[in-house]
Amino acid sequence: MKRSVFYDFTKGFIEENPTFRLVIGMCPTLAVTTSVVNGFWMGLSVIFVLVFANVFVSLLRKVTPDEIRLPVFVILIATPVVIVELVMKAYLPAMYEILGIFVPLIVVNCIIIARAEAFAFKQPVLNSLADGLGIGAGYTLNLILISGIREFLGTGQITIGSFRFPATPFFEPAAVMLTPPGGFICLGLLMAILNVLLARRERKTKAQAV
Amino acid sequence: MTERLVVSPSPHWKTDKTVPALMLDVVIALMPAVIASIVFFGWKALAIILTSVSSAVISEAIYEKAVKRDITIKDYSAVITGILLAMNMPPGVPLWMPAIGSAFAIVIAKQLFGGLGCNFVNPALAGRAFLMAAWPLHMTRDWLAPGFFGGVDAGASPTPLAVLKGESSGVLPGLWDMLLGNRAGCLGETSIIAILIGGIYLIWKEVIDPRIPLGFIGTVFVLTWVFGKPGAFFQGNAVYHVLSGGLFLGAFFMATDYVTSPVTARGRLLMGIGCGAITVLIRLWGGYPEGVSYSILLMNLVTPLIDRVVVPRYYGWKHEARKEKAL
Amino acid sequence: MLRARTLSGGVHLDDRKISSGKPVEFAGIPPEIVLFMSQHTGAPAKPVVKPGDRVLAGQVVGEAQSFVSAPVHASTSGIVKAVENRYHPILAKPSTAVVIEPDGKGEIWEGIAPGSDDISALSPEDIVKIARNAGLVGLGGAAFPTAVKLSPPKDKPIDVYLLNGAECEPYLTCDARLMVEEADEIVFGFMAMMKAVGAPRGIVCIEDNKPEAIMAMERAISGKPGIELCVLKTRYPQGGEKQLIQVVLGREVPPPPGLPFDVGVVVSNVGTAYALAKAIRTGMPLVDRVVTVTGAVRSPSNFRVLLGTPVSFLIEKAGGYAGEPGKVIMGGPMMGISLPRTDVPVVKGTTGIVVMTRDEVNLDKPLPCIRCGRCVDACPLRLLPVWIAAYSDRGTYEEAEKYRALDCCECGVCAYRCPSRRPLVQSIRLAKQAIMEERRARAQKASG
Repeated sequence: MKRSVFYDFTKGFIEENPTFRLVIGMCPTLAVTTSVVNGFWMGLSVIFVLVFANVFVSLLRKVTPDEIRLPVFVILIATPVVIVELVMKAYLPAMYEILGIFVPLIVVNCIIIARAEAFAFKQPVLNSLADGLGIGAGYTLNLILISGIREFLGTGQITIGSFRFPATPFFEPAAVMLTPPGGFICLGLLMAILNVLLARRERKTKAQAV
Repeated sequence: MTERLVVSPSPHWKTDKTVPALMLDVVIALMPAVIASIVFFGWKALAIILTSVSSAVISEAIYEKAVKRDITIKDYSAVITGILLAMNMPPGVPLWMPAIGSAFAIVIAKQLFGGLGCNFVNPALAGRAFLMAAWPLHMTRDWLAPGFFGGVDAGASPTPLAVLKGESSGVLPGLWDMLLGNRAGCLGETSIIAILIGGIYLIWKEVIDPRIPLGFIGTVFVLTWVFGKPGAFFQGNAVYHVLSGGLFLGAFFMATDYVTSPVTARGRLLMGIGCGAITVLIRLWGGYPEGVSYSILLMNLVTPLIDRVVVPRYYGWKHEARKEKAL
Repeated sequence: MLRARTLSGGVHLDDRKISSGKPVEFAGIPPEIVLFMSQHTGAPAKPVVKPGDRVLAGQVVGEAQSFVSAPVHASTSGIVKAVENRYHPILAKPSTAVVIEPDGKGEIWEGIAPGSDDISALSPEDIVKIARNAGLVGLGGAAFPTAVKLSPPKDKPIDVYLLNGAECEPYLTCDARLMVEEADEIVFGFMAMMKAVGAPRGIVCIEDNKPEAIMAMERAISGKPGIELCVLKTRYPQGGEKQLIQVVLGREVPPPPGLPFDVGVVVSNVGTAYALAKAIRTGMPLVDRVVTVTGAVRSPSNFRVLLGTPVSFLIEKAGGYAGEPGKVIMGGPMMGISLPRTDVPVVKGTTGIVVMTRDEVNLDKPLPCIRCGRCVDACPLRLLPVWIAAYSDRGTYEEAEKYRALDCCECGVCAYRCPSRRPLVQSIRLAKQAIMEERRARAQKASG
């Protein structure tokens, strides 16, 4: 059966949302989501690596022996990671300072290895490309959402470059949101909300089916 | 046969001391401390307490309505959470803080874990810890010097604990002022006498087990006496340590929370001693001047372990235990 | 007199012994007598009469089938109407019963021969035999065959015999009245019991809310060698066998299948001692007992009741219901069984009938457990009802077994004290049943 490329792209947003449904790739999710800008660049890096890795794993899936697939994955993932790292160092040194260790750590980010193992290794190139884009985009959206909430509550405003919204905070920012506990609370609540919504939808479809 | 009879398993008698009745007792026991806080910190204290309580009750009702559970605001547990959180706040905080703290305590720390009986830490203390992490400056600076019915000084006033620790310069208040509550501190923790009245009421009504407060306060007394003075043993200012900070409030009203304290008598004693030891650790060597609330939170987390380990020797198992040992 | 002591744990209950001043009167012969073949712990008796037979008071209608069993005797004279299944109040299911239509004459069977007034003339074996033939069982409620209790294994010497007059259940006064009115008979029976098991020491245990009974018993035991009185501070469930042994002697019975024998003790109820005395002196088997009918009835009373008398007949005798009845309990309010109907008969273990009005019946919905530990503090066996019940509610019975669910004596103190009104005893009972079933299944697998 031929899988729908479109579905492979969209499933990354809700059904197989990496953070909230698959609960993978949690370290950067908690560590770098203190500002929207950080989240955005982290997400972008992951998209690039994920697409690169997915496409090449899928291309080479027929010639990769099962026994050595993991080392092959690692090489295929490490390559784009190094590219991202060098590019970022060259053109976005400030961002590289902030994201720091979490950029090279994308190598061991479970999202990427999980997609390679569970998806790209078994699926055609086009689907793998869609999957990488979808999951990566879903992940980026998550990061932006979490970091948006944390930045807004933790500093009172959202700062993108010189743009600040609102210009002056209208409430006293809660420092806790920028700390790891704040990250956990935020993540947990978002996860709960998504689960409630999905459960409700499932009930509805079940009720309709009956 | 004409009579319609109820059939149910024994026992056919049940005590009148139901959860709401016990909780109401706690509310009553908190009243002296509430009144003392109003006497010393004026209308501001009343406003904080009312805000905190109404926020707790309202958020409980809204949450339970939203998830279609039974509305349990009538069991007074939310009221207690609200009062306790207010008691744990400096009198100078802005009013939105108790409101947010109570909502956090009820929704995040209590209801999300399953409501009454399922929270793993004391909700009021979780709320306090959240406020402390979110707005640390308000929670550590907004002290007020006590005045009589609102004669409150605007300037910040150091708490005795900060003075004891050498963080603030200032003079320690006299012992009598410490007992009465005429000193800087959180709303409900200042008046030892008021808290004691409530605590004794609870012990007399058999609502709380005296092992927790006695173990807690006793441990703090002994440890601060032994280690209280840097470089010398047995010279610490134990009396001041015991009377200052939130020790009495925590020992009588927060460490004794049913849900988050062990079920066995020995376990509760252990809980009290553990709380005392951690409090002293934080006070003498930790980063904060006060450690009561964190010590209780930590022991709350240990409670399931205590319950697993501290098991009474069941009736009649003396012989069996001996037999097993012999094998 | 031994020093007054009391149980650690347990609860102090409002004892409501409203019928304690009422002398025991004969309830009369009811229009129908229903004698269950299973009125005791152990194997049911086998009916030996058939419909149409005429039976006389004291005549055997059911024969004991095994060692742990007891015969059943006709409690009055009349015609056997049927041998059929009737609803059994304790087992809560239909069970074989001999139904007798009394002729109102109360004629005594010719096989009844007056016995002796002298215990020294009887050997221990004689006493056990009398108890067995009289169908004696423990009248405190558990209905364990007395003959079995009186024959301890030879390797377990008995040094103390406890006579249980604690009567710790609220409302019930049948034992208290019996002690007031028949103290000498009770002591006579008690001495026979002590002789049967070879116990050199006997202790009469009474709670301090029964001063009249204490006075009567104190007088009756004076001059009797080896018998002492122990007054206990009132506390529930002090009258439980294990609790009584712990409170009076400081000994703890090993966990099930441990028995009081294992610590050199036998415990019997005062009612049993009285019945044994009667069986020795008059040769009359166990055909009646004292039953307290109390609670929401117009005139709470203590009746001498023929076994097999319907509960409804007794309630009528006590003046009928006062107010709308909500619950009719056979036994006390703590451990008794609530009856779905009142046409069921009194059995050997029935200590009382307690009527509760509709307003007194608690139908509150249980709240979630808040782990307050009040059940743990009160459990007389120092168990952890909170965990046993929690595991039972989740269906993880192996965990409940680890917390010694099987040790539970179902005294009900935990459920009484639970501020969330959780049915702890019910949960624990469920766990016990599941564990026993599991064990049986395992044993069957092993043997088959």
